[in-house]
Amino acid sequence: MRMTRTAPGAVRIPAIVRPAARHVWPTLLKITTAVVVLVWLFPVYWIVLTSLKPVREINSKVPVFRFSPTLDNYRDLFVRFGFAKVLTNSIVVTVVSSLVVMVIAILAAYALARMRVPGEKHVALWILSLRFIPVIAVGIPFYLEWQQLQLLDTWLGLILVYIAFNLPFAIWLLRGFLGDVPFELDEAALLDGLSRLQIIRKIVLPVALPGIASTAIFTFVFTWNEYLMALLLTSVDAVTVPVTIAKFIMPYTILWGDLSAAVVIQLVPMLIVVFLLQRHIVRGMTLGAVK
Amino acid sequence: MAQVTLRKVSKSYDQHVQAVKGIDLDIADEEFVVLVGPSGCGKTTTLRMIAGLEEITGGEITIAGEVVNDIPPRDRDIAMVFQNYALYPHMTVFDNMAFGLKLRKFAKDEIRRRVDEAARILDIGELLARKPKALSGGQRQRVAMGRAIVRHPKVFLFDEPLSNLDAKLRVQMRTEIKKVHQTVRTTTVYVTHDQVEAMTLADRVVVMNRGVIEQVGPPQELYHSPATRFVAGFIGSPAMNFIPCRIQGRGNELALRLADNLSFPLPPERTQRYGAYTDREMLLGLRPEHLTELKDQARPNMVRLDSRLDVTEPMGMEILVHFRINGTAVCGRVDPSVRAIAGETLPMSADLNHMHLIDPETDRVL
Repeated sequence: MRMTRTAPGAVRIPAIVRPAARHVWPTLLKITTAVVVLVWLFPVYWIVLTSLKPVREINSKVPVFRFSPTLDNYRDLFVRFGFAKVLTNSIVVTVVSSLVVMVIAILAAYALARMRVPGEKHVALWILSLRFIPVIAVGIPFYLEWQQLQLLDTWLGLILVYIAFNLPFAIWLLRGFLGDVPFELDEAALLDGLSRLQIIRKIVLPVALPGIASTAIFTFVFTWNEYLMALLLTSVDAVTVPVTIAKFIMPYTILWGDLSAAVVIQLVPMLIVVFLLQRHIVRGMTLGAVK
Repeated sequence: MAQVTLRKVSKSYDQHVQAVKGIDLDIADEEFVVLVGPSGCGKTTTLRMIAGLEEITGGEITIAGEVVNDIPPRDRDIAMVFQNYALYPHMTVFDNMAFGLKLRKFAKDEIRRRVDEAARILDIGELLARKPKALSGGQRQRVAMGRAIVRHPKVFLFDEPLSNLDAKLRVQMRTEIKKVHQTVRTTTVYVTHDQVEAMTLADRVVVMNRGVIEQVGPPQELYHSPATRFVAGFIGSPAMNFIPCRIQGRGNELALRLADNLSFPLPPERTQRYGAYTDREMLLGLRPEHLTELKDQARPNMVRLDSRLDVTEPMGMEILVHFRINGTAVCGRVDPSVRAIAGETLPMSADLNHMHLIDPETDRVL
């Protein structure tokens, strides 16, 4: 037995537990993260796999991981179901409505955040409260109105509805982001000789770009994925991707091949947008403006 | 040539809060005027009205003889340096400085020439390609000044430009600003709450309090002949001591009475000025440098006060001593060679040649 020299009354700390514990937690955290990511990504992986499988393998009772990939499902989607038209509808409706939303929202948010608007706080809260309305509550009224105005099953009909839905939230978000830009920048620009609109374009927009990019992503993703209003307000000419995907689930069969191919196609633009804009989402542009 | 004049200028918010209450001010061409006062005194509001960033509620502001009340900021031909610099974070230093010139459609060579000239004056030639976030606080401040200089404006406006800098840099930049003004000689209005900054920079200091101008004058005049109790207390550090007192006696034999057993004859040349204020509660104003250790040689109107020191603060070139005169806490300055120890008594003297007498009813210095 080895003697350890300990001062009288000193408590001996078990030396082994502490360093070990220091390693255990990060490792555990990493494993948990990996598991969570895998669980989240598996459906995506599975749907991509399914979209590339021949019909026989899709319907196999035992999950098949090894097969000869084919683009048959994609060809089927475009040739048999005229998916090109659906995709065009979705792209036009989403891009146009998102652009309009961003332009109006930036102007409105600038006024609310940086100019003296009477009752500004009430206006802002009222705008946000519009977002509290459940979509389904206004679905039927919109349907009846659009019927009168002959906007059912048209791009314009959907675009108008999506602008109405997205504007409140976009204004609310941007009001916060634009409010973060130091006011003195506007004033310095006023003295430098810019008009209000020029200040928005040349100073506030570049400085608040991260916030604007995040808002644009929110708007884009919401519109691109929206199902309920699209289902109510379109039938043939203006149907969008989400509505079409749901149609592959039929009373007696589910067309898994076409469905998964359509889902993969729907995923692609979102990935592109997020990758394009994520550089700007990183905050820190305003660093150095003040202080 | 650019004089700035303010005539009965006032600013109120929501009809209730009056930030500036009808002030008059004439600023000469090439003059460096500092507006100083505590926060909320209206100095920044006044500056922003000159800039055109705040609307003028009443009165008239002219720049170079032209009434500018309804002229937008960009057409007033002024340049402003902000407290937090307000550099455009997405532009390089060069672009920050050139931006105003580009908007005014200056030729490229001219822009280049002016930016280079300003960069030379401010010693920031190396930084022109950098973005603001890659600069230190002092460098950002220089760029902000450069942005003002390149415009060759009629008037420079500074809004507390040094308050974001640390103490050492502040002193350095203060000298820098003074140097720049001596080179460029543009009419300058400078706002600060720091009276040292005001004293060191200004040709004339404007002391503001609660929306009115208390006094306008060269730094020395404000220091030695303050017009009001506020100015007397605001200018100078440590601040002037105010001690309750009474003037007693008749004719040329007036005495300054601080307490029952503490009474001194007034300097004869002051008896006429103070004669009308006998037997009333008054305030004696005395700067710390006129409360010193008792010197061997007696001089006229230096009177003796014995004091028990509460606190001593050695400053190197002097020692600040805090003690009480008849219950009123006061501060004096003594030579570092004096043995000043807290808790012990020290013979002090008050120099009544430099006394101020304040009427507490009007707060005016008599």
